[in-house]
Amino acid sequence: MIYYYFLISIITALLTLCAKQKRMVNIIGSIFYGIQIASIALLLFGDITAESAGEFFSFDKIGMLFFGLLTIVSTFVFFHSTNYLKDSPLREYRLYFTLLMILTTAITGAYFANNLAVTWIFLEATTLCSAGIIYHRHSPETLEAAWKYIFVCSTGIAMAYLGILLLSSLATQESLSYELLTQSIANGDSLFLKTAFLLIICGYSCKMEIFPLYTVGVDANYAAPSPAAALLSTGVVNAGFIAIFRVYKMIMTTEIAEWAGNVLIIVGVISLAIGALFLRRTNNYKRFLSYSTVENMGIVAIGLGVGGLGIWAAIFHIVFHTLIKTSLYLQMAIIRKYYNGYQINRIGNYININKVGGISFIIGTILILAFPPSPLFISEVIILKEIIVNGEWWLISIILLLLCIVIYSIATRMIRLCYQGDQDNVTPTPQNKFFSWSALSLIIIAIVIGIWQPHCLEVLINEIATL
Amino acid sequence: MILTLIILYIITLIYVSITERFRNYASIICIQGWILFAIALLRLHNINIYELLFISIETLLFKAILIPALLFKVINKTHINRLKRSGTSQFNALLVSMCALVMSISITYYIANPTINTIFFGVALYALLSGLILITLRTRIFAHMVGFLIIENGVFLFSMAMGVEMPFLINIAILLDIMISVLMLGIFFTKFDHNADAKDSNSLTQVKD
Repeated sequence: MIYYYFLISIITALLTLCAKQKRMVNIIGSIFYGIQIASIALLLFGDITAESAGEFFSFDKIGMLFFGLLTIVSTFVFFHSTNYLKDSPLREYRLYFTLLMILTTAITGAYFANNLAVTWIFLEATTLCSAGIIYHRHSPETLEAAWKYIFVCSTGIAMAYLGILLLSSLATQESLSYELLTQSIANGDSLFLKTAFLLIICGYSCKMEIFPLYTVGVDANYAAPSPAAALLSTGVVNAGFIAIFRVYKMIMTTEIAEWAGNVLIIVGVISLAIGALFLRRTNNYKRFLSYSTVENMGIVAIGLGVGGLGIWAAIFHIVFHTLIKTSLYLQMAIIRKYYNGYQINRIGNYININKVGGISFIIGTILILAFPPSPLFISEVIILKEIIVNGEWWLISIILLLLCIVIYSIATRMIRLCYQGDQDNVTPTPQNKFFSWSALSLIIIAIVIGIWQPHCLEVLINEIATL
Repeated sequence: MILTLIILYIITLIYVSITERFRNYASIICIQGWILFAIALLRLHNINIYELLFISIETLLFKAILIPALLFKVINKTHINRLKRSGTSQFNALLVSMCALVMSISITYYIANPTINTIFFGVALYALLSGLILITLRTRIFAHMVGFLIIENGVFLFSMAMGVEMPFLINIAILLDIMISVLMLGIFFTKFDHNADAKDSNSLTQVKD
């Protein structure tokens, strides 16, 4: 069934390239995102089993959860992009949307792939689409960012492939499905498994935006148009997370489980430290949000590494991070329309220029800082509690110290945007308030679901987190 | 025979660390392509004939002919002949490369497992390290691209060790070749060509904090 989805999605995306008017692009785009919504509805309410996806895919819980999120995020990204790029030439406009749609399809493939090699292929595909989107503005800066993105991601992906080859040598059957590999590697040599795990973590870190290859993600988010950066910083990051999570799940059945957990904790702490330090250093709001992603993914990696309830919290964290970060990036797109830039020390007074946007931004900041009623507060508390239960006091003191730096950095910078005087005395062009409300709606959805915590979501995350 | 070819392959990797001329880099990539073609023919003769044909033709066409030709074209078009500023001397680069070789052999020795072909794994690891060393020590973007191609060739070599049981693994490695190499070379050829400064990675510093 998923093959029909790919076929329809790709055809729809390619049709966009033939569009003669922007209106036509918008109509085809609406059809494409209609297909995404219909697909998730079919998965949720239709009579579809996990196995009906085909040989290399599986409609499993984690795939469905993240596909649901991707549908929400990508639909918002599409509508905001139409506004953001309305002044672009038709050729660039339709190419951007074609790539956006193919990227969405590639991410979906990575979510549902139940085979190590297939996940790898779709992650590789996301690199190609993302590079095109990053280069959208055709400036020397975007060329540099696109080049670095392709180069580092390709090197990372090649390293991950070496890890996959190592794991595949343990396969007893001619298949690289996660299920069969889990059985094959259960008694595998520990040094062998450690090398493979390290290579895969290093390789996929460029997608999940964690240490060591996090830099390309930051550059990509900076160079890409803001609405697309929302998709890169959530959809692609989640794809990297799923790829690592599935491998980690396999490794948990082996004797190196504890070691792998420690590796994730180290990677997480370093990512958190990098996020905390660079949040202080950067002078660009988009890079600022990217480092916030690095910091949050660090917390997710720590949650996975800690194990137990930490895994539940890591998944919970990434779900709500997706909604909140998308909203902040979409708000950033609106801010660019007002100020024509993202410089932290130049722009300000946003609350008076755009009240809805300003309020949305402040609430988003509170949520990303994990202050109550933020759902991220729950996940961070659970992770910290799990660390205390394990008696790792040194770890908790490092994390708390770094979180304090993060809170200080984010709070001061975000407040500056809303309340400091605008250094350039920009005369803002009036913008359609609908898009500010639209970005705010994602924040409201995050708060409502976070506080309400519907039973189905809880059960879903429970099932995913069960290793 | 395969062992001789692999030793030749290792020699090309050592040579990469000391050479500074771009024509030599392109020639090495070409030689590696031919070696990989020969290894593919010798190693995979037991697999399905169509798969063997596809893999060997792709290796020959792509790795031994097309990519080196593109590299030579880039050299001719951009008139870049050698490394402008190498971050380190040839002797030091050779020393680092030797350390990488010893490290690869040591890891392979410790990891020795009947399920993997240790020679292929060791060489692939050395190729991976050689590529990373080249990317780290040299400042020219062209050298970085060659570094990536070396990593890719190493991964391809290792995939052939697995490919006897699972030929589709080699096809995936080929996919990586086609998609990325062409895209990277394409960008280099069409975009960086207009900007002489961009040929040096030191000039790629506009995107930063």
